[in-house]
Amino acid sequence: MVNLHTSHGVISIELDAAKAPVTSENFLGYVKSGHYDNTVFHRVIDGFMIQGGGFEPGMSQKSTGTPIKNEADNQLKNDRYTIAMARTGDPHSATAQFFINVGDNDFLNYKSSTAQGWGYCVFGKVTAGTDIVDKIKGVKTGNRAGHQDVPVEDVVITKAEIV
Amino acid sequence: MNFMPGYPPPPHMHSIFVSDLHLCPSRPQINRIFFDFLRGQAASAQALFILGDLFEYWAGDDDDTPFNQSVVAALRDYTSRGSALYLMHGNRDFLIGERFLEATGSTLLPDPTTIDLNGVPTLLLHGDTLCTDDVKYMAFRAKVRDPAYQQQFLAQPLATRKQIIAGLRAENAGEKQQKSDAIMDVATATVEAAFRENPCPRMIHGHTHRPALHHHVVDGRGYERWVLADWYRTGSYLVCDATGCRNVDL
Repeated sequence: MVNLHTSHGVISIELDAAKAPVTSENFLGYVKSGHYDNTVFHRVIDGFMIQGGGFEPGMSQKSTGTPIKNEADNQLKNDRYTIAMARTGDPHSATAQFFINVGDNDFLNYKSSTAQGWGYCVFGKVTAGTDIVDKIKGVKTGNRAGHQDVPVEDVVITKAEIV
Repeated sequence: MNFMPGYPPPPHMHSIFVSDLHLCPSRPQINRIFFDFLRGQAASAQALFILGDLFEYWAGDDDDTPFNQSVVAALRDYTSRGSALYLMHGNRDFLIGERFLEATGSTLLPDPTTIDLNGVPTLLLHGDTLCTDDVKYMAFRAKVRDPAYQQQFLAQPLATRKQIIAGLRAENAGEKQQKSDAIMDVATATVEAAFRENPCPRMIHGHTHRPALHHHVVDGRGYERWVLADWYRTGSYLVCDATGCRNVDL
């Protein structure tokens, strides 16, 4: 169980280590090292997802560890309030960035083990603080530092801790 | 690339697709049409997808000609007004890099990419990867898309890069006269393989400059393939919304 203390309130996340062992362990590693402390939700799209874990306030990108394999073929779905790993177009490129779905995003689910079909690995869900997630998804966003959908006022994760 | 822009990509509702604009200083009327399009028809879209060959050629992000800067400014103006801009590399402008993406506020999509377009999974490609009958081109493509090749190419002075590109373009123009129409179009088997590997009911691509809507049946299922027009004569775009896709000529 991980608590994300944010500028908008606390979000509690239960990890599914049985269905996403590598992803859960990877996420806990970043929590333990303090990587997520003082990062922002830098990409917020209402109706879709809120994404964070990669940038400090001011949009400087944090360095990350080795990419992990994609475990999206674990039957977990990108439904509302689940947490999943963000990545690049390479299916096995996830490092620290994650996102919380604010809709049932079926098109993000695993379809096949091809570059296009891998989808995004769900590794847990929000068990408390869904109202905080709903507050965050509605903040005003704009373009900043070459990124789109950036909250105009920083939404900060002040601390991430294992409980 | 450490930079992780726009992943996962959001579902798209009102989106516009263009490709093969081949923008260059020698076609000022087309540039005007494009800039007007960015402020007009494209402005009301949630997202604009440019599926390759935005530029006639691209020697590197350091090619700061006044013309290139004018295009960057127009694209930056577009994204600053709230629409998303997605680019894909084409066979002419595959050296577009992070500096250009950041300057314009755009996201680079890999080729191919699947998006959710109003609930319909849609496969986006530039289209050159489908022209597998053009064996000579495919060999050339394999060479120039190799990151090691690109790294050494970009390490050369800009003037040298532009010379090399000018040489290649002269060679290519000569060869095109001799290549049959057939090999320069997509290979049906390759298109069908793409539909099998990426189960999307719809595909959108450019490159062949043969705008059309094609219907394919693969393993008993129907698929549609939209081919975008080039911008040599005038502008043209595909708009997709809840009612489906339709082509519009400017």
